Amino acid sequence: MLNLYADRGNVQTLLRRCEWRGLHAHVTPVRRHDEVRLRDYHLVLIGGGSDREQALVAEALRRRRREWKAAVEDGLPVLAVCGGYQLLGEYYQLPDGTKVPGLELLDLVTTAGRPRLIGNIAIESPEVGTVVGFENHGGRTVHRHAPLGTVLRGHGNNGRDGYEGVRYRNVVGTYIHGPLLPKNPRLADFLLSLAAAYAGVAVDFPPLDDELEWAAHRAFLTRHAGVRGPR
Amino acid sequence: MEDHARAPPIVESIPEERCRELTDTIGVWVGKSSRVLLRLVGRRATSFPGLLALRVSPRLMRRLGRQLRSCTVVTGTNGKTTTSVMLATVFRSKGPCVHNASGANLRQGLMNALITSADWRGRLRADRAVFEVDEATLPLVAADLPIDFVAVTNVFRDQLDRYGEIDTALQLIIDGIRRTRATAVLNADDPLARHIGLRCGRPTVYFGMARQLARPPEREQTRDGEACLRCGHRLRYDGYFYGQLGLYWCSHCRFARPPLDFTGLYDGTALHVTEGRSGPETYELPVRGLFNAYNALCAIAVARLNGFRPAEIAAALKRYRGPAGRMQVFATEPVSILSLIKNPAGCDSILQAICREPGPKVLCVAINDRAADGRDVSWLWDADWELVPERCGVAQCVTTGTRAEDMAVRLKYAGYPTGRIETTPDLEDGIRRALRAARALGGLPVHVLTTYTALHEAARILESLAAEAAAPERP
Repeated sequence: MLNLYADRGNVQTLLRRCEWRGLHAHVTPVRRHDEVRLRDYHLVLIGGGSDREQALVAEALRRRRREWKAAVEDGLPVLAVCGGYQLLGEYYQLPDGTKVPGLELLDLVTTAGRPRLIGNIAIESPEVGTVVGFENHGGRTVHRHAPLGTVLRGHGNNGRDGYEGVRYRNVVGTYIHGPLLPKNPRLADFLLSLAAAYAGVAVDFPPLDDELEWAAHRAFLTRHAGVRGPR
Repeated sequence: MEDHARAPPIVESIPEERCRELTDTIGVWVGKSSRVLLRLVGRRATSFPGLLALRVSPRLMRRLGRQLRSCTVVTGTNGKTTTSVMLATVFRSKGPCVHNASGANLRQGLMNALITSADWRGRLRADRAVFEVDEATLPLVAADLPIDFVAVTNVFRDQLDRYGEIDTALQLIIDGIRRTRATAVLNADDPLARHIGLRCGRPTVYFGMARQLARPPEREQTRDGEACLRCGHRLRYDGYFYGQLGLYWCSHCRFARPPLDFTGLYDGTALHVTEGRSGPETYELPVRGLFNAYNALCAIAVARLNGFRPAEIAAALKRYRGPAGRMQVFATEPVSILSLIKNPAGCDSILQAICREPGPKVLCVAINDRAADGRDVSWLWDADWELVPERCGVAQCVTTGTRAEDMAVRLKYAGYPTGRIETTPDLEDGIRRALRAARALGGLPVHVLTTYTALHEAARILESLAAEAAAPERP
């Protein structure tokens, strides 16, 4: 697992949910100059950071762009959040017009904008139902792929088209953090099943007791996002 | 047009010294009247009048300061406020004492405190002062005040320089102490404070905790990058108290924890202090937690050096009313301890302190997401809640506040058993449930942790529950 300053909560959620099912998973934190062979991993998490950090990471990762492209086309599951999401595209255009090149894995571009899009967000995804969390991004993203979901409450990709995130092969990109996975157990298990399938392991994912997770999810929808009825 | 050259400015005709006095008096007037005005419009005046007064008369601090017979400053990273308020409480048991308000620890804040206790003619109504001073401010006021004691609570740094170069904050404190004629009262358990002691060129007095309180290094080993500030080699520890505080020694040079002048033994409710070979004297503490025990130990050391008797100090400490939310004790049934958590670092230090409290306890965590708390509660995942199942001895948890459910999920993923977590968004209900659970478990202490906007309401609820507990039972 590649983890560039991803939310610790996302990693922990995936690990615990494996552990509770008796599955073994191993996490490798990756630093900027670490050499990574993507074929050694079954799920990659890319988190966010400041513009400067993001530019440094982009520069480091771009050197292995072909390998990334091939892995993603081959079905490598990737969860990219905030800055990591922007990094999947062609470029991130800074306020002064400079374009910081991305990994070019997706037909996706991001332009810095004002004001920042901040607040609670809830979306409806055809694959995993409602997804809830917090967004805080200056970038406006547009792409030619399927979105992760449609916005029920909040801003989403750009505050205009009503879409949030991206879905392409086994890639999930999103602006939602808070962190993303603890309160969205269906999405967490969706990623784990993608990883298991990609690893070629035949495991089933028996349901867990997710009472607390759904209580938080429901409370969020009704109290914080003002959306009625979960899922 | 007027001819300025022919009429010399009026001040020149007044002798220089008289003129300065006049300026100082104007400074006092400006400061005091702006204070009155701010009060009239209902604003807290902790710094601004001092800033104005310093503008009018930059020498005013020296003028007022030299009327003091004794002056103590408390500096360091954490615990300045608690330590200095404790000291002020002790000093005030024998007469008036100048003391700056919580957090107003820059030059203008000190100035403000001096003006407040001066009359309109610039005469101080107190001859003793204790100031909480920001590290960077110490060198700026060192020459203006007759400082006889500089207490350094601790010096925490996020990242220590691995090559043993002196940190800027450390250098500021050293420079500050060098400019005084003071005795430095230092935390012996902190290698950085010890370093100050070696470099400041002033007499030193050391306080620290008893060896038997130290824990063997385990989880806290994240600090293994710490370097000796003298030679740059790695510092070794025989045991840790908390953070970098511990029984340290350098494997290369002779840098090590110095012998103690004041040794504290904290038992969870009281501090037993040994001075050299005499003692121990027992001081009941109005606050909980090892970090507060350090603050009390520092205050006790300074008070003893100022000639206060142990009994006088113990009596004054009982009257101490600390700032809300720093492991503040409430006489509820059973006892409850309130702490503010607002970021991962602060939360971790509270959790570590709770772990060090002896015996099982009940935990009540109130998380709000109003504007002043931060709407985004992601930070909960960066705080070390894993300590709760691993080391804290928590028998039952109640999560409450607008984000009660998020907190419950966090505890679950930290590995805490879900069967022992109760969740209710209503704060009063949450606190009552925690106390009920604590009573059912045989009277365990309840640790209440809250974010900023829940703090004062939680304090109010705990106070009224304490009053209920104190009231005689109705027939």
